[in-house]
Amino acid sequence: MRLALLLVVALLGVAAPALASEQHPTQGELESELICVECHTTLDESDSPIAREMKSYIAQRIRQGATKTQIENELVAEFGPGVLGVPRKHGFDLLAWLLPLGGIAIGAVALAFGAWKWSRSVKEPRPGRGSSTEAQHEDEPLEPELERRLDEELARFDA
Amino acid sequence: MRALRLVVVAAVLALLGLLVWDVAHKNGGEVAKKVDQGKAVTAPAMRLPLMDGSGTFDLASRKGKVVVVNFWASWCTGCKEEADALDAAAKRWKPKGVEFVGVNVQDFRGAANKFLDRYDVGYTIVRDGAGSTLGHWGVTGLPETFFVDKRGRVVPPHILAAASAKQLDAGIKRALNS
Repeated sequence: MRLALLLVVALLGVAAPALASEQHPTQGELESELICVECHTTLDESDSPIAREMKSYIAQRIRQGATKTQIENELVAEFGPGVLGVPRKHGFDLLAWLLPLGGIAIGAVALAFGAWKWSRSVKEPRPGRGSSTEAQHEDEPLEPELERRLDEELARFDA
Repeated sequence: MRALRLVVVAAVLALLGLLVWDVAHKNGGEVAKKVDQGKAVTAPAMRLPLMDGSGTFDLASRKGKVVVVNFWASWCTGCKEEADALDAAAKRWKPKGVEFVGVNVQDFRGAANKFLDRYDVGYTIVRDGAGSTLGHWGVTGLPETFFVDKRGRVVPPHILAAASAKQLDAGIKRALNS
């Protein structure tokens, strides 16, 4: 119960500023997120004529009470989706968010699979003693001279 | 394991395909450069909505005509300087079958319409708010003017600043004779 309450409080903490930003966007916030179509930097980094016009348009729409989404949509209608600093999270643009995540997931699975295969290939030969060089040496008979010397050494050790 | 290999091969092929597509579509950026070197280049495809919303302009359908293509925006100082010369040249050359098209790029539609009213522009104006055609033509600043001959090739000269009447006449004559 306490955990659920904490989760609700945390969600409210995140959702409230987002909602405020959507309903009452600030000039600085939009200028830092939208791109100047001529210079391809964010508006707050540009002082080109069209950037000044875009800033003036944003200021006017904020005064008129437009939401963040409304202002963004209007600028996209004028200049295309390139005006948004980041791709949208719906429609075709959602792919831009999903593809990198999918790539990471596929990479992680491939890496895990590779690691699993590698660990199996290292462990498997031991029980059969058939494939490793060490195992092959263990099965080879000793040379007679070497065997005689080994027996002598062992006998001396026993004594 | 075989399925994983197939997925990896498919992913690599898809990425290669994207790379080839990207390179193929960037070739248009060479147009301005080649024309400046004195070469004639096939005009990039240009199919854009008319500014007044009454239809679409397709450059490919203008084969057999000389077309003057001018890239402009209302906020550009050089565009204001050349506006009267362009409109006068369009009227002067219209009887000889020469067509002018102004491509409004990276501009607010409202501001562009005010500009057109103020300078009483009478020739065809198309809208490319995102400026998606700029890269294909190799446009690096505004205004810029190109001449397309009757065979659909962009021919020299390429005017990189406010165009004068003299420059426009010279460019059109050269396009008519190419």
